[in-house]
Amino acid sequence: MFRSHVSVTTIRQVVEINTKHRLFSPGKLTPGKRIVGSMRWESSTRPAPLLTATPVRTLVDEQTCIKASFLPSNHPVTVCARMRSDEGDLWQSFAHYNTNSSGMFNLNSDHSVGGSYSGCEPMGLFWSMQPAPGEREGLRLRKKCVESPYTVQISLLEGHVSPNQDPGKEVAAVTAERWYMSPGVKRQEIRQNGLVGTLFIPPGPGPFPAMLDMWGMGGGLPEYRSSLFASRGYASFCLAYVGHKDLPGPSNTVNVGDSYFKAAFQFLQEHSQISADRIGIVGLSYGCYLTLHTGTLPGVKPACLIGINGPVGSSRELLHVNVTTKKSDQDQVFWSFDDQGYIIFKQTSLPSNLHPESIVKLEEITCPLMYIVGEDDLSASSIENADLIEKTLRAAGKSHLFTRLSYPGAGHLIEPPYSPMSRASFWVIKPEKLMTLWGGHPAPHAAAQEDAWRKMLAFMELSLRR
Amino acid sequence: MSQAVPPVLSVQPSRALVDEKFSVQVENLPPGCPVTVRSLYQSEDKDFWEAYGHYVSDHRGTVSVSEDVSLGGTYTGKEQMGLIWSMRPAPGSREGLRLRKRDMCTPMLVTISVYRGHEDFRDQTALASALVERWHMAPGVQRIEVRERGVQGTLFVPPGPGPFPALLDLWGGGGGLQEYRAALLASRGFAALALEYLKADDSKPNSPGDKYFETAFEIIRAHPQVAPDRVGIIGLCFGTLVALSLAAEYPMIKPRCIVCLSNVHHKSRKNTVTEFPEEVPERFKTVGAMENVLVWRDMGLAVLKMQHPKIPVGNIDCPMLLINGTDDQNWPTVEVASDIIKMMREAGKESLVTRVDYPGAGHLIEPPFSPLFRATNFMLSGTRKKVMMLWGGKTKPHADAQEDSWRRILSFLQLHLYGDPSPKAKL
Repeated sequence: MFRSHVSVTTIRQVVEINTKHRLFSPGKLTPGKRIVGSMRWESSTRPAPLLTATPVRTLVDEQTCIKASFLPSNHPVTVCARMRSDEGDLWQSFAHYNTNSSGMFNLNSDHSVGGSYSGCEPMGLFWSMQPAPGEREGLRLRKKCVESPYTVQISLLEGHVSPNQDPGKEVAAVTAERWYMSPGVKRQEIRQNGLVGTLFIPPGPGPFPAMLDMWGMGGGLPEYRSSLFASRGYASFCLAYVGHKDLPGPSNTVNVGDSYFKAAFQFLQEHSQISADRIGIVGLSYGCYLTLHTGTLPGVKPACLIGINGPVGSSRELLHVNVTTKKSDQDQVFWSFDDQGYIIFKQTSLPSNLHPESIVKLEEITCPLMYIVGEDDLSASSIENADLIEKTLRAAGKSHLFTRLSYPGAGHLIEPPYSPMSRASFWVIKPEKLMTLWGGHPAPHAAAQEDAWRKMLAFMELSLRR
Repeated sequence: MSQAVPPVLSVQPSRALVDEKFSVQVENLPPGCPVTVRSLYQSEDKDFWEAYGHYVSDHRGTVSVSEDVSLGGTYTGKEQMGLIWSMRPAPGSREGLRLRKRDMCTPMLVTISVYRGHEDFRDQTALASALVERWHMAPGVQRIEVRERGVQGTLFVPPGPGPFPALLDLWGGGGGLQEYRAALLASRGFAALALEYLKADDSKPNSPGDKYFETAFEIIRAHPQVAPDRVGIIGLCFGTLVALSLAAEYPMIKPRCIVCLSNVHHKSRKNTVTEFPEEVPERFKTVGAMENVLVWRDMGLAVLKMQHPKIPVGNIDCPMLLINGTDDQNWPTVEVASDIIKMMREAGKESLVTRVDYPGAGHLIEPPFSPLFRATNFMLSGTRKKVMMLWGGKTKPHADAQEDSWRRILSFLQLHLYGDPSPKAKL
């Protein structure tokens, strides 16, 4: 983007080597001749069509409108999106459109007639991205560095083409940035009192309502949901509890217990910029169990709880739950496999397979609880767990606290909106490569992510800001 | 809940190009609560600029800047972008400042905050605040420094293969190299060369010479990503003079269209802005209420009457967009526009001209939402004398003019540089 003191002649040489540009629709127009250095040129040069993405810089949960004009009328075009993950893998999508009689198209109103998605999908290019052919297998898209954006190249190709088989000519391009953090949000690595996590604080004096944010047995420390919460005005603390180098003990077991999660909640309560009585907890997968479990620990009074696709108990005692694949692992009896050998974890979290003493005493909940179900979840028995929560709360006269969102066709990994989904990805690579099936199909999963995020934020607004 | 709910201030979008709008919303206030919403920006020169509006929250405890009425401050009424265009130097700042972003690769970072009360809001801590980025350059735009064949400037090229229509971007007599309009034009699909043709503080008069602009045009046309027959010119003030001259007197250049902001059409033999004061009687150089404030408007009227040589605009064969402000105190640009149109009419080419006069706008018609600079420090080239130059303009009408004229400029450029309109087509 930035070059200093490079003459235009040099740039021309570089561009001529790299660009195999030809004029648009050569059959339709007389190509213009350009004689460099002279003032003579012949008939009108056709400029590139004007392709725009508005706005070009957004948060990942915001929409951008992709449009083009100055194209031939009723003409087939392909729109393509490409970006690289933090690990350098190429993800891409494409869709086929036809321009209207004015030579324009607009993804907000027009229909894709083929490609990575079909129908009217303003954000289809983003959520339908998949790893490009030739990229590593078993990938899942997760932003590691939330302080930098994804840079998405959106291109326009002539005709209805498949970018992999026959890319054709790129006739226009625009670059969009997708951010996980709004300006002014502060990111703080927390390593105190044994806690391992990252705290995100919105700009301004505060005090702010806050969320304790937990993910699943994959471990590590995904920050991208917390950074988005902070960009929406909620302090958010994503907490690691397994598979992180700064946690005690072996990385393949959970080596922290109740006191750890309670300390995390208290950390938020004691923070000078956080309102102690406006703290919620959110968790996906095993993080959902931890959300419910922590939320009912003595002395912990959350203002709301959000569980996504997770169990109400653990298949074993919390401490020392083994997350890897030792042959002797007793959880394995609950695993099933599809015809490709991908693990389906679903049965592990069936209420009847959960350790009875681990099941959270849901009747003791005193705050609103939202539970989000992906009906095609192959990793957790979300429907059955949701049913159990609903039944327990109804019996305790607490149905009014319960909100259930259920999405047909959505899988396990219900993440912030417009993110691409992976129906399967690597669970572990060592000691052996094993893939797991998350479930979900792109279009309904994308719709679920968009709707669930909106409803989660509205739920947080109601529970934490009123 | 025991603790009071703190107010929440949100700005959507938090990152935008400078010609895009944002919406500021404050929620969770007590109903009927007087508050002040304020913007604060620290320029690259370390000066603080601010704007503010006084509001009263509604029954739900909400203030929406785009929907509600500001009761006072640096702007009043329902003004979605008042927090940007009504900015002025914070109390205690140096005089005569002008805000012009130099580094195109970083955004302007503006803090928007809300305070309790109307008077004395500054004595308090903000109730809530948010940070907003305002960019001149979209991602993917290339910035290329041009130092070739004696030409100095910066070329901005939109992302993609092209070929793109292009513009020669010319500022005025202040000189130097201002990149921000060219960067914004490239972000809107037009390659643009911001050309330095007058040094900001030379002690000698500048003589870029005829060849300079021809070479600049050649450089644009030769760029492999530029469509060579779709190059226009956009100029302000002295840049207008250059644009008109290139279109009228240089048969090899043939711009496809020109945009002239704050029109000047009297020839400048030495290519300086100081030759007019040298020729025009003293009595026309008004000194205003402030010491050493130059008001050149009347001098310009005298130059008009004096039959000073003019650019033969009747020779121009391309569409022209003339944009001027009626409160221009630096030059009688509205009268100049009328004179240009008269000359075009005499040549039978009036249909090429589109003219827009903005009541209450001053001389410095910039991209949208820029604050008004009614009078700023100016270095007279040739004499190195620092003066205060009165540009004119009233804040609100000038802001409206900038917003409206930018929209018209982009439409005009799309029509003539992207499209293939028939010769008689008008905007």
